[in-house]
Amino acid sequence: MTTRDTTPGSLRVTATPASALPGDEPVVVDPSTEPATELNLTRGVVVGRVDRTAAGTGTVEVVVDGWRFELRVEPERRARLRERATRDRASGHVAGPLEVRAIIPGRVVSVAVATGDRVDAGQELLVVEAMKMQNELRSPRAGVVERVAVTASQTIELGDLLVVLAAAEAAG
Amino acid sequence: MTDAAAAPTAASLRKDRGDDRPFSRVLIANRGEIAVRIARACRDLGMEVVAVYSEADAGAPHVRAADRAVLLGPAPAAESYLRIDVIVEAALATGAEAIHPGYGFLAERAAFARAVEEAGLVFVGPTSEAIAALGDKLAARRLAVAAGVPVVPGTLEPAPVDRPDQVEAILAEADAIGFPLLVKAAAGGGGRGMRRVERRDELPSALAAAAAEARSAFGDGAVYLEREVRPARHIEVQLIGDSQGTIVALGERDCSIQRRHQKLVEESPAPGLAPDERRRLHALAVSAAAAARLTNAATAEFLLDPDGEFRFLEVNTRLQVEHGVTELVADVDLVAEQFRIAAGRPLSPRIVEAASRAADPERHAIEVRLSAEDPARGFAATPGRIGTWTMPSGPGVRVDSGVEAGSRVPPDYDPLVAKILVVAEDRPAAIARLRRALDETQVSGIQTTLPFLAHVAASPAFEPGSLSTDWVTEHWDGEAARAAAFGRAAQAAAAAIARAAAEAADSGPRPPLTSPASSWAAAGRDDATDRWPR
Repeated sequence: MTTRDTTPGSLRVTATPASALPGDEPVVVDPSTEPATELNLTRGVVVGRVDRTAAGTGTVEVVVDGWRFELRVEPERRARLRERATRDRASGHVAGPLEVRAIIPGRVVSVAVATGDRVDAGQELLVVEAMKMQNELRSPRAGVVERVAVTASQTIELGDLLVVLAAAEAAG
Repeated sequence: MTDAAAAPTAASLRKDRGDDRPFSRVLIANRGEIAVRIARACRDLGMEVVAVYSEADAGAPHVRAADRAVLLGPAPAAESYLRIDVIVEAALATGAEAIHPGYGFLAERAAFARAVEEAGLVFVGPTSEAIAALGDKLAARRLAVAAGVPVVPGTLEPAPVDRPDQVEAILAEADAIGFPLLVKAAAGGGGRGMRRVERRDELPSALAAAAAEARSAFGDGAVYLEREVRPARHIEVQLIGDSQGTIVALGERDCSIQRRHQKLVEESPAPGLAPDERRRLHALAVSAAAAARLTNAATAEFLLDPDGEFRFLEVNTRLQVEHGVTELVADVDLVAEQFRIAAGRPLSPRIVEAASRAADPERHAIEVRLSAEDPARGFAATPGRIGTWTMPSGPGVRVDSGVEAGSRVPPDYDPLVAKILVVAEDRPAAIARLRRALDETQVSGIQTTLPFLAHVAASPAFEPGSLSTDWVTEHWDGEAARAAAFGRAAQAAAAAIARAAAEAADSGPRPPLTSPASSWAAAGRDDATDRWPR
């Protein structure tokens, strides 16, 4: 289940491994309350290279008062999903029903499976168009499709539920 | 000295033609900011410049500042900037008449000065004999004592190392000096071959360790003992002398803010001294220099001990990194004067006049060294490619630098990338100007020591009473300072991403990632090639 307690559009900023110091904590910035589109180019702030890879995502070099940071920016919701997925994997909860959620917003182009279909790990589930490119969403594990939550030409947001895979059966 | 009937020199022939340049062509045996600085003096005097460079420095600003350039070899200094034979050959091949060694590298290597002299070229600096004599710190101490100049209490002969039969004798000398004391290398510098000894029983092993380090670093394992003066102010005197034996002092500099024996901040005049104290210090320095028959530019270093006594440390027989601080206060060009002296001329009237005013200067100058080091990671070196490079300017600001936007800072050399100097009518005004200049300074692409320098300039602890060689340890917490900037950096990063999104929406589809036009892919390639071990 998605917890939508973070305001839409919040961005999480972390130092990249190359530039982080132990003790660095991620910072969450809410562009709707900060002066987001107005880059604060006052004395002391230099923005270097900006590598934007997707909406609200990328790495930026910023120098503030002579301190240089390489910062990764991503939507806060996606960062949380990633964290939860890592936690779930680590605690071995892979046997429960698996919710496959959108990690980029876009438009569903086609759906390749239906309720009851048995899929292999890596098998294509659906195709999403985002940023003028097509992305195939593939099944993270073998299993049975319990539910398909979207249809072709539907617009999806980050975090939207797409497909649910049934709980894995006992070894076999 | 040469006799009157010697054959005409290139210099004298030129003079007959009405060309009064000290030399027509000079080779600069150095790199980076000092090579650029020396080239500027050459161009001011109308002399042609020959630069030398390693493979890591191809296209560097110091090469482009020259009329001709000679490739020395691969990046490591031992294969390029330290190759005496290759450098002398380059001077002969290009018709250079003189070689300026800058600082570091071969500047205080007597063998280099000798090789230059023997090749019939002019070495722009002291004679090889003076370099050899003063390069031995023990010999320099003995010289100072003989000239009546007080030295830091200690021994005057090499200490016995690994000699059980002489252990008692050296321990007795150590007792007379008092603990804690320092074991120092006679051939040394920069803190290498040095050990601090707190207790008597540590002395024999400290002697052995220091001697081994000195032998490996300098080829000479001679070590001696000196009392540890702490807290101490490190004050040095700029000396300049001609070949006729006239030596003057052009003022002193306080270099007390250091880290691991590397100077970070220098200023002139030394704060808190009265004119007659300065006069006395300058006279001591000139006495030591005269005893060594010093010519050209050199610097005599002293410690000001807690009792207010000046104690001679050593003489550096070269132009120093911080020479610009004296140039700004005295309004002289030391490098230009070096060339005139090397061409056999007496000291310029301007220099002599500046020396007469040196005890009561009317200006104050401060220099900070901007280095490619990370002040939140123990000043670890940060080689890489510079992105933005915005240096300060305006009234009373001077920047000496050997890099520019887009320059690569190689890992093979000293991490100094620029010197930022300010001059103003007094110390408070100079500090305010320094703050302003550092505010204007912006560098991206690599981490620099800028935040540390800004902290020093803004710190109320940057006062004469607090100045000591321990200052950095007492007054700096790099990680905390960096953490304080993180929040603003995060906001700027988020805003930059948002703006990039807005611009992309305006400008249509981005090129595919595999296309050569994709700046993202290009940045990824740059990253892969520019990434240094951190």
